[in-house]
Amino acid sequence: MDFTLPVILIGGSTLAIAFYVAWSIGANDLANSMGTSVGSKALTFRQAIIIAGIFEFLGAALVGVHVTKTLRYGIVDPKATVFIADPILYVYGMLAALLAAAIWITISTYFSLPISSTHSIVGALIGFGVAAAGVSAVSWGRMIEIAESWILSPVIGALIAFFVFYIIKKTIFDADKPLLSTRKVVPFFVFAIISVILFSIFKGIEETNIPQIPLIYALVITFSVGIIAAFISYVLIHRKKLIKMETEHEEYKSIEHTFIYLQLITACYVAFAHGANDVANAIGPLAAVVGYLQFGVIGSGSGVAIWLIILGAVGIVVGLSTWGYKVIVTIGQKITEITPTRGFSAEFSTALVVLACSRLGLPVSTSQVIVGAVIGVGFAKGIVAVDLKVIKSILASWLLTVPISALTAAGIFICLRVIIGS
Amino acid sequence: MEKIAKEMEHFRAPVSNTLRRRSPFDQLLDHMGKVRECINILGDGLIHYYNGDYEGFSELAKKVSEFEHDADIIKGNIRNHLPSSILMPVDKGRFLWALREQDSILDHAENLVEMLDMRHTKIPKELQPIFIEHCKLVMETVEAMELAVESIRDLVETGFVKREREHTKQYIHKVHDWEYIADQKRYEMTRAVYKLEKKLEPMDVYHLLKIIDWVDDIADHAENVADWLRSMIAK
Repeated sequence: MDFTLPVILIGGSTLAIAFYVAWSIGANDLANSMGTSVGSKALTFRQAIIIAGIFEFLGAALVGVHVTKTLRYGIVDPKATVFIADPILYVYGMLAALLAAAIWITISTYFSLPISSTHSIVGALIGFGVAAAGVSAVSWGRMIEIAESWILSPVIGALIAFFVFYIIKKTIFDADKPLLSTRKVVPFFVFAIISVILFSIFKGIEETNIPQIPLIYALVITFSVGIIAAFISYVLIHRKKLIKMETEHEEYKSIEHTFIYLQLITACYVAFAHGANDVANAIGPLAAVVGYLQFGVIGSGSGVAIWLIILGAVGIVVGLSTWGYKVIVTIGQKITEITPTRGFSAEFSTALVVLACSRLGLPVSTSQVIVGAVIGVGFAKGIVAVDLKVIKSILASWLLTVPISALTAAGIFICLRVIIGS
Repeated sequence: MEKIAKEMEHFRAPVSNTLRRRSPFDQLLDHMGKVRECINILGDGLIHYYNGDYEGFSELAKKVSEFEHDADIIKGNIRNHLPSSILMPVDKGRFLWALREQDSILDHAENLVEMLDMRHTKIPKELQPIFIEHCKLVMETVEAMELAVESIRDLVETGFVKREREHTKQYIHKVHDWEYIADQKRYEMTRAVYKLEKKLEPMDVYHLLKIIDWVDDIADHAENVADWLRSMIAK
C-alpha cells in the first residue's frame, strides 16, 4: 500500500489511539487487579508498578500474542455488505469504537470506578456495528454473555472469597495456637496458589505461545511444582524462629505479615494474567486496522504484530503509574479497609474463579470478580465496614458501560463519516 | 500526623480520602485513647483535690476540657462519615451507642472538674481515705472498660472468632465487677457523709454528696460502654 496522506493520517491516529486505549486500561483494569495488594499494604504503589510492569510484559509476550479473534472480527461482521463496498468504513468504525471505549474507561477512572475494559470495548463495537451496518451485522451473543457476567462474576467471586476467608479464619485465627497453625497451613495455601496459577497458564488461556500439552501432563507438572513450592515455603517459614509474642495482637500482626508473601505471588500472577488476556483484547481491534493498512484487506487472519503488543503493554503500565491510584484506592480502601489475609482471600479466589470459569466457558470479567470477592470477604465478617454506597455506584457504572460506550462509538463514527464524507 | 503522611505516600491520594475511610473500629479506639489520657490525669488530680491540694487544679480542668473537645471531634468524624448504607460485622446502631456512652465519660469528667473548681470544698480528714478509695475504684472501672474496647481490635482482626469473643466478654465482666464494687463504696461514703452532717456546713454536705454522684457517674457510663459492647458482639 502506498503512503498516501490518508494512510499516514489513519496510521498515526491508530497508534495514538492504541496508546490511549492501553493507557486507560492500565489506569482502570490493571489498577483494580493490583488494588487489593496495595490496599493491604503488601506492596507499595511503586512496587506494584514494578511488578505489574514485569509480569504484564511477560504475560503479553509469552501468551498474549495469539489473540482470540472474537474482538477483532467476532462482534461486527466484516463481511457485511456495507464493509465490502467500502472497507475503509470498517477502519473508521474500529477507531471510533476504541476511542469511545477509552473515553468511557477514562471517565470511570476519573470517578475512581473499576469497570470491565472488555465490556466497554464490546459495547463500543456494538454501537459502531449498529450505526454502520444495522442491527443484523452485530453478533448479539456477546451481549448476552456480558449480561450473564454482570451477575455471575460478582456472585461467584463473592462466594469463593467467602469460603477462602472462612477457611483462613477456621484454620488460623480460630485455632488454639494461631501462630503455630499458620506455619502448618501456609504451605497448603502455597500449594493451592501455585497449582492454580500454573494450571491456568497451561490450560486457562486459549491460544497461547506456551506449547499445548495433554491435560494429564499439565496436571502432573502443576501438582509436582506445587508440592515443591509448598516444601520450599515450609522450609522458609520454619527457618524463622517461633518467638513468643507478648500479646495476641502481635501474633495476629505477624500472621498478617506472613500473608504478604502469599499476596506477592498472587499479585504477580494477576499482572501476568492481565498481560495475557487484556493486552490482546485491547489491541485486537487495532490489529484489524493495522492489517487493513498493511494488506488493504479486512479480515485477513494474521496474528497481531509483536510491536503492537509491546506498545499496548507499555501504555498499560504507564496508565497504571499515572492514574492507577484512583481505582486502587476504591478497591483497596474505599469499599473497605483490607489486610493481607483479606487481600489474599480476594486475589486467590479471583484467580480460581477466572480459571474455573474460563475452563467451563462461563463469561466472567476479572474486574467484576475482584469487586465481588472483596464483598464476599466482608460477608464472612472479615471486613470491618463495606461501604454500600461505593458498591452501588460501581454496579451502576457496570450497567452503564455498554450503552454509553455504544452510543459514544456510534456518535464518533457518524461524525467521522460526515467529516470525511464517504 | 506521621501515620497520615505515610498513608498518603502509600496511596498518593488526597488527605481527605485517607481520613474519611479509616475503619470505624480504629476510630473508636482513637476516641478511647482520648478517654484514657483524660481519665489518667483526672485520677491524679482528684486525689490531690481530696487531699486538700488545689494547686494546678484549674489547669487540670482546662486540660480535661481540651481532651473532651478533641474526643468530640473524633466522635463527630465517626458519626458524620459513617455512611448510612454500610455493611459492618456489628450492628451500626449499637456501635454508635457504645461510642456515645464512651463520649459521655468525658462529658462527665469535664463537668466534674468544672464543678470542683468552682468551689474548693475541703474534704474532712476522716472522709479522705474513703473518697480516695472510691476514686481509685472508679478509675479501675474505666481502665477495665478501656481494655474491653481495646480487645475489639483483636476481635475484628480475627474476623470474630469464638476465642476473641470470649476474651472480650471476660473484659466486659470485669467492668461490671469493678462498677459493682465502686457502687458499694459509694453507698458507704454517702453513709459516712450523713454521719458527719451535724458537724459540717450544709453547703459542704451538699457539695460532698454531689461530688460522690459526679465521680460515680463516670463509672456508670464506663459500664454502659461495656453493656453496648456486649450487645454489639452478641450473635
